[in-house]
Amino acid sequence: MIALAEAPTAPAPRTRSENQIISELRETVSASRLSLFLQCRLKFWFRYVAGLKKPKTPALHLGGSVHQVLRAWNMARWKGTPMSLKDLYDVYQAAWGDQEEEPVSWDEDEDDQKKVGWRLLETYFRESSIAAYARPEAVEVAVDADLSRHGLPALIGVIDLVHQNRIIDFKTSSQTPNPGKVAHTNEVQTCSYALLYREATGKRESGIEFHSLVKLKNPKVVITALEPMSEQQQTRFFHLIEAYVAGLDRRDFVPSPGLQCVACEWFNECRNWR
Amino acid sequence: MAVILQMTYQKKLGLPNFSSHACSVSVSVEIPDVSVAAQESSKLYSLLQAAVDNEIQQVGYLPDATSYGMHQNGNGHPPNNGNGQNRSSNDQWKCTEGQRGFILRIVADNQLDKNTVEDMAQQLFGIGVKECDKMQASQLIEELLEKTGKGNGRRRPQWRSREPARA
Repeated sequence: MIALAEAPTAPAPRTRSENQIISELRETVSASRLSLFLQCRLKFWFRYVAGLKKPKTPALHLGGSVHQVLRAWNMARWKGTPMSLKDLYDVYQAAWGDQEEEPVSWDEDEDDQKKVGWRLLETYFRESSIAAYARPEAVEVAVDADLSRHGLPALIGVIDLVHQNRIIDFKTSSQTPNPGKVAHTNEVQTCSYALLYREATGKRESGIEFHSLVKLKNPKVVITALEPMSEQQQTRFFHLIEAYVAGLDRRDFVPSPGLQCVACEWFNECRNWR
Repeated sequence: MAVILQMTYQKKLGLPNFSSHACSVSVSVEIPDVSVAAQESSKLYSLLQAAVDNEIQQVGYLPDATSYGMHQNGNGHPPNNGNGQNRSSNDQWKCTEGQRGFILRIVADNQLDKNTVEDMAQQLFGIGVKECDKMQASQLIEELLEKTGKGNGRRRPQWRSREPARA
């Protein structure tokens, strides 16, 4: 049972019981939900079970706006109606301005951040390995995979881009990714994409790529290419989903105190947990 | 007084493709008295372990992870995309039943010409609507929703009731 000494962030009015919510969370699993559960079960509880909300961070807003432009760019290439840089900037402006539904907690200068995001995109369009006329196979496609034959909940997710049988995921980050560690640190995501792709197409992916747009003084694009998901990775991934299901069944929502808590938006709520 | 010593040795090992197999051997022996129980237990353990280790090396049937369950289920029936339905061959869609129903509903609700949808699938994927796999059908649905003014530019997989989530 989770008890909060005080609840600084008011949850939305709940129409479902905690058991109903957990039961629904057990029916399906996504990479983001699984990752959060593995990272910290209490944080998972705050977000998905209690339904508490926090203002969006500037980094998340920047990443979301950049994603929307990349989606528009890829869709235009797919339909054979390329967009000009001006058209793309208009998409960026609109995405950036969309802060009503999810307010952003601006602790940094908003204009500076907006410029950073656009510079990232300009760098990507200039340095992207994908030709402007190359036609993708799918763009931000929502797919699911039935894992019931493995005794697991259905896997759901959205794949950013599929190009020449390769699954591509866009990331914005403030640090240059370490190629040696990317395969491990993103394994939940890569396995999820691979399973979704295989289930949805009946084909095996030829590889998985992370296109990281790095927010440095001089922005850069780092492409990390990974091999298709191996059987060993799939087994590990299934074990992680098993742990997710077992944890939900046990109502196991204990915190995971550690270095990662320094930047956690739920720090104060967590300190009040007992 | 005779003493019965019972012992079971079991080993379970993981196999590729999220499989596993297990082997278990049990034995009951009569020993003259408890003073020899420890010695006999040790002997039996070694004996049973060797027997299990010898047997469990036979892996037996292992499915091909790239095809098992995808094109044919264990009963030799064609796949049904997890929705438990099979359709007659003249009306076979490659996508899920939910996606098929949703595409048809968009067409009916918006009084779209079926040829328009067929053309859209041809233009986007170079194949007909019925030939679209799950991924293509998902993309086609998004396009249809945008065309009918119901798209929101963000992913909302509306053909299912499950929570949409970014992977």
